[in-house]
Amino acid sequence: MIDFVQNTIDGVMTGSSYALLALGFTMILGVMRRLNLSYGPSIMIGAYLGTLVYLQLSASPIVVVAVTVAGAVLAGIYVERLCFAPMAAGAGIASMVSSFAIWMQLEQAAVLVLPRHTYPFPPLATGAPLTFGPFLLRTDHLIMLTCALAVSTGVQLLLYRSRFGLALRAIINNPVAAHLVGINVRTAIVWAFVLASVVGGIAGYLVLATDQQITPMFGMWATFKGLIAMMIGGLGSIPGAIVGGLVLGVVEAHSQWYFGPQVRDLVAYGLLFACLVLRPGGLLGGPPVREPFPWRRGT
Amino acid sequence: MDDYLVGVLSNIGVISFIALSAYLLLLTGEISFGQQAFFAIGAYAAGIATAVWGWPLGAALGWGAAMAGTAAVLVGLPTLRLSGLYFSVATLAFAEMVRLIFEQVRYQVIMDGEPVGPNGADGFRSIRYIFENDVGPLQYLGLIYAFLAAALAAFMLLERSRLGVAFRMIGEDAELAGLHGVAVARLKVLAAGLAGALAGIGGGLYAHLTTYVEPRIFDVMLGVHSLAYGLIGGLGTALGPLLGVLIDIGVLESIRALSSYRMIIFSGLVAALLIVRPRGLLDERVVHYVRRVWRMRATT
Repeated sequence: MIDFVQNTIDGVMTGSSYALLALGFTMILGVMRRLNLSYGPSIMIGAYLGTLVYLQLSASPIVVVAVTVAGAVLAGIYVERLCFAPMAAGAGIASMVSSFAIWMQLEQAAVLVLPRHTYPFPPLATGAPLTFGPFLLRTDHLIMLTCALAVSTGVQLLLYRSRFGLALRAIINNPVAAHLVGINVRTAIVWAFVLASVVGGIAGYLVLATDQQITPMFGMWATFKGLIAMMIGGLGSIPGAIVGGLVLGVVEAHSQWYFGPQVRDLVAYGLLFACLVLRPGGLLGGPPVREPFPWRRGT
Repeated sequence: MDDYLVGVLSNIGVISFIALSAYLLLLTGEISFGQQAFFAIGAYAAGIATAVWGWPLGAALGWGAAMAGTAAVLVGLPTLRLSGLYFSVATLAFAEMVRLIFEQVRYQVIMDGEPVGPNGADGFRSIRYIFENDVGPLQYLGLIYAFLAAALAAFMLLERSRLGVAFRMIGEDAELAGLHGVAVARLKVLAAGLAGALAGIGGGLYAHLTTYVEPRIFDVMLGVHSLAYGLIGGLGTALGPLLGVLIDIGVLESIRALSSYRMIIFSGLVAALLIVRPRGLLDERVVHYVRRVWRMRATT
């Protein structure tokens, strides 16, 4: 029982970072209706720049966070300009494949800057974990959870309490109608990428600071964790992204504890597959978005 | 031909199968991130058949294709009613499950004093059929391209048949195709099964080419690459994905000198190409144009 509760606590903590990744993903997917495979790699570019200033200038965590987020935003804008902005309305697959090509490019660029496989990443907090009765709470996990809550609340407020959020939700709902009522869709999309990159950059920083190391695999990891959490929770839904991330974290923590890391991944993908077949709209989503990609020509 | 060239050409040949497999699904409008799963199933099934059960190569390749095709139909039944992104992510989840299951599968028998068969994450060594039966690299290259030529011929026939037209109709607009009397669900499952079997043959050929397979070869990178080949080469004809493979492996091999910058240059070129030609180099427009010119020449 103690193990069960402890695993659930750990799962919620890791899950909060998945939730942030899913949140960024769902914003891009919502406004673009296209899959951005370069989402994780562009976060990784930011994280690599953060590592670089940490290693070269032994910068403080605040500077590392700022550099990580700024790098992720720049890389995100680069991806948007190259893979999404110039594509015609019906060319959704081309955007996706193009974002995959840019993923390879960003990964290679990261390896060129820092060629070793693993680099240290500055930890968030050191010191003994807090104890509550029989349960342990890692300080960095607590910071991660707090930040995740703060960021997702901020995003929720921005989307539901500001004119910019209203514009974004209008685009998510119907891009053509949004354009007709005078919303500058192209500019709003760039800002959605910036916002998603900020959220993703913070998520990436939190994950890496907890792991205390960075490898070139991080880009792929972030893309797929965000994608899985988003799909489990329900595509295009912000509460769905949060719930999906937490569910994924808890399920992973339990299966890791009982069966080991390989079966953990198997269980995570099995959960995703089952969710898609049984409840394609996700745990919180309504009926599935009927055509998430209007990628057929002429539509 | 020198060994290096034979090696590169053999590689291009086997990878072409998985590219064609992804292309077949693209024709029906489905984007699969998971064709590597069927490539893996074909590779393991055919490898076990020759190395453990002592089957001849032809039967083993057929067995691999049958297993992969069956698996594809079974996965296709629940997932193909999902549309767009949902289907793509479901295939991704399935393929990763297959890879992780192969990391657990241990099925070894002792032959000539050493264990033979899949050994989980350590991979499946000594699939030595082509060495034991004195098939030279050049001969094996011929075999790969014979199979590839057969697959291409089948695609050419498909493009001229009602079935091929139906596939493209579904890819263009499934609802409209249904209104025209096309059995959309059944044909989608058929396309998935055929694509799975095609990837399975490629997998079997791959296993016997390298004599060694391990689960991590069949990761999602292979799947996304095979999808990208069709998009780079073009969706107008089955030659498109082959052109994509040729460009990727061929060009990358020939600019090895720039190896540390090659992904930066190559990926940038691909992204730029997709802006200009979102359905690849040999897209439908080019293919129709070439066909028209060809017909005009034939009539005059």
